[in-house]
Amino acid sequence: MIKAYREILVVLLIIFATGTALSAPTVKASLDSTQILMGRLATLRLEVTQEKGVPGGFPLFSGADKKGYVTVCGDSVELRTSYRRDTVEEAGGKIRIKYEVPVQVFDSGFYKLPEFLYVCGRDSARSNSVSLKVIPVAVTADAQISDYAPTAEPEGKSIFDNLPDWMVEYWWLLVIILALILGIIWGWRRYRTKGFIIPKKPEPLPYDVAIKNLTKLKSENLWEQGMDKEYFTRLTDILRIYLEKRFGINAVEMTTPQIVERLNENPAIKDKRDYVRRILDTADYVKFAKVRPLPEDNIAAYESALKFVEETKPTAEEIEAYKASLEAAEEVKQIKGTQNLSKEKKAGKTSPLKISRKPKQMKKKGGRR
Amino acid sequence: MNETVNIRELNDLIASKSNFLSVIRNGMNQRIVGQKHLVDSLLIALLCNGHVLLEGVPGLAKTLAIKTLAQLVDAKYNRIQFTPDLLPADVIGTMIYSVKKEAFEVKKGPIFANFVLADEINRAPAKVQSALLEAMQERQVTIGDETFPLDRPFLVMATQNPIEQEGTYPLPEAQTDRFLLKVVIGYPTPEEEKVIIRQNIRGSLPAVMPVVDSREVLEIQKLVQQIYIDEKIENYIVDLVFATRQPAKYKLDDLQDIIAYGASPRASISLALAARAYAFLRGRGYVIPEDVRAVCHDVLRHRIGLTYEAEANNINSDEVITRIIDVVPVP
Repeated sequence: MIKAYREILVVLLIIFATGTALSAPTVKASLDSTQILMGRLATLRLEVTQEKGVPGGFPLFSGADKKGYVTVCGDSVELRTSYRRDTVEEAGGKIRIKYEVPVQVFDSGFYKLPEFLYVCGRDSARSNSVSLKVIPVAVTADAQISDYAPTAEPEGKSIFDNLPDWMVEYWWLLVIILALILGIIWGWRRYRTKGFIIPKKPEPLPYDVAIKNLTKLKSENLWEQGMDKEYFTRLTDILRIYLEKRFGINAVEMTTPQIVERLNENPAIKDKRDYVRRILDTADYVKFAKVRPLPEDNIAAYESALKFVEETKPTAEEIEAYKASLEAAEEVKQIKGTQNLSKEKKAGKTSPLKISRKPKQMKKKGGRR
Repeated sequence: MNETVNIRELNDLIASKSNFLSVIRNGMNQRIVGQKHLVDSLLIALLCNGHVLLEGVPGLAKTLAIKTLAQLVDAKYNRIQFTPDLLPADVIGTMIYSVKKEAFEVKKGPIFANFVLADEINRAPAKVQSALLEAMQERQVTIGDETFPLDRPFLVMATQNPIEQEGTYPLPEAQTDRFLLKVVIGYPTPEEEKVIIRQNIRGSLPAVMPVVDSREVLEIQKLVQQIYIDEKIENYIVDLVFATRQPAKYKLDDLQDIIAYGASPRASISLALAARAYAFLRGRGYVIPEDVRAVCHDVLRHRIGLTYEAEANNINSDEVITRIIDVVPVP
C-alpha cells in the first residue's frame, strides 16, 4: 500500500516538475473594435506569454505576400504584417509579447477570425477565436460626391516651416558659404578693376634702406677691429641690394665687371659708375686676394658708397608716388580689418625654362646610334 | 693698400710669366682665326693638367687647334684617329714577340706622348674609349705585367662631332666626367670667315715652331697651383654645383624636372682648378667670381644629366647652367 502511494507521489512530482520547467506558451487574441466600417482599420491584439530566450512567432505571418498582407477568412480579411510588437519581461523567467496587427476588410459581413497558431521552440499554442462585424457604407444614388477636405494650416505657422529640415538645421553653414561667395565676388571684382586684392605694403625706399644700413655698418666699426673682409662684404652687399632695388640691376647675382657694364648702359647713372667700380674693385681685392686695405681705403670706399646713394636718391615725384602707395596700403589695411578673406597675390618670377607637358619626341640615350 | 706678401709675389711671378701665354697665343693666332674661347680653353686644360673634349661640327679647326698647340710646345705629340675597328692595344700598346730576342717585347701605343689627339673619340667602341679614359685618369698604362707612367705634361684632347650620330658610340656620362672641360665650338663670324678663306687659299698654313718646352709647362702648372682661392669662392663653387643637384634649394624649382642628375664632386674640383687657370690667364694670383663663371659652362656642361622632357623640349645643359649662374648669389 505504501509502495503504491510512493509511486503516485513520484508520478505527481514528475508531472508538476515538467509542468513548471517547460510550461507551454499561451496566446490571447482580441480586437479593439468588434464592428468596423468597410475599409476602415481595426487592430487585432495578440498577447503571447512564453519562456524568455526561446524563439517564437506566428507561422501565418511568414506567408505574407510582396505587399506584406496575409489574408484569412477566404480572402476577405487582410492582416498586415507590419505590426507593432512590444515585449514586457515578467516574473518567473517569462516574457509577454503584445502584437498589434492592423486588420482591414473590404466586404461587409460577419467574420470569425481563425485561431492563430503560435510556435515557440518545440511548443505551440493557439489563440482564441475572435469575431468581427463589418458594416457596409451607406451609398445613396443621389448623394453628392465630396472632394477631400483641404489640409488644415497649423496655427502660428512661420516662414521656416516652408524650408527643408536640413536647411533649418545647418543654417550656419549656409551663412558661411554665402559669405565666401560674396567674398570671392568682391575679391574678383577688385582684382579686375585694381589689379590686386590686398595690395602689398610698399617696401621702404631703397635709398632709406641703404642709408640706414650704411649708418649701421659705420657704427659697428668693423674695419677698426680688423674685420676688413666682413666690412667690405657688408658694404658691397648694401650697394648690390641698392642697385637691384633702385635701378633693377640684378647686382646680387653679378660680378664686378658685369655690374659696371650694366651701369654703363644706364645713362642716368653712367657718370657715377666710378664710385661703384672703385668700391667693388677694392672689395674684390679684400674679399678674394687676402689684401689688407689701409684705413684710408676703408673710409674712401664707405664715402664712395654714401656719395653714390646720395647722388642717386629718389626725386620728389618718386617720393610722392611712394607716399601715395603707402596711404593706399593703409586704407586697404583698414578694410582688411573687417573683411579678412583673400590671399595676397603672389608675384612669382617666370622661368625662361618651361617644360611643355606634351614632349614632342623622345630621344633614346646611350648605346650605338 | 697693404697686401700679404705671397699674393703680391704671386702676381709679380704671374706677370713675369705672361710671356708664356703671349707666345702661345700668338702662335695659335697664326693658324687659328677667331676661336678665342677655344684657345683659352685649351690653355686652361694645359695649365690644370686636365683633358679637354671638343665638340663641334666638321671644319671648325678643332683638330688644327690641338695640333697647333702641340706643335707650339716642344713635346711629343700623337694623333689617334678613332674608328669602329680600333682596339685598346692600338691605343695603349701591346706585347709583341721578338724572334730575335726570343721574348715578348713591349710595343708602346700612341698614348705615350705629352699631347694626344683623340680624333672623333665617339667613333670607337666602348672598350677603346674606356682604355683611353682609364689612362687619362690614372696617368699610367699597364701592358702585360708592367705598368708604365705616362709622360708629363699629359694632355688628351678629344674631339667629337655632334652630327652624323649613325654608327657612333656616345661617351657614357661616367667617361665624359673625366674630361676637365667640354668645349663646344661655334661658327666663326663673317669677318673671321673671310680671313680663313684668304689664309687657306694661299696653299699652305703658316708653319709654327715650338716656343715653350714641356719643362716650362710643368713650371707654369706648379705656379697655377699656388693661385689663391678664398673660402668665399669655394662656397660659390659649392653653391653652383649644389644648385645642379638640389635646384629647389636655390629657388630653381623650374629646374627640378629638367635635371636628371647633378654634377659630381669631381665637377667642384674641376671648377676650382679651371677657375684658377683662368685667373692665371687674366694675370691674377687670386680667383674672383668672374673666373668661376667664365669656366662654369665648359666644366659643368657634360656633367649635368638632363631628363627626357628637357631633351624633348630642346633644353640643353648650357641653358640650365646659365639659369643657375643667374640665380646663385655672387660672393
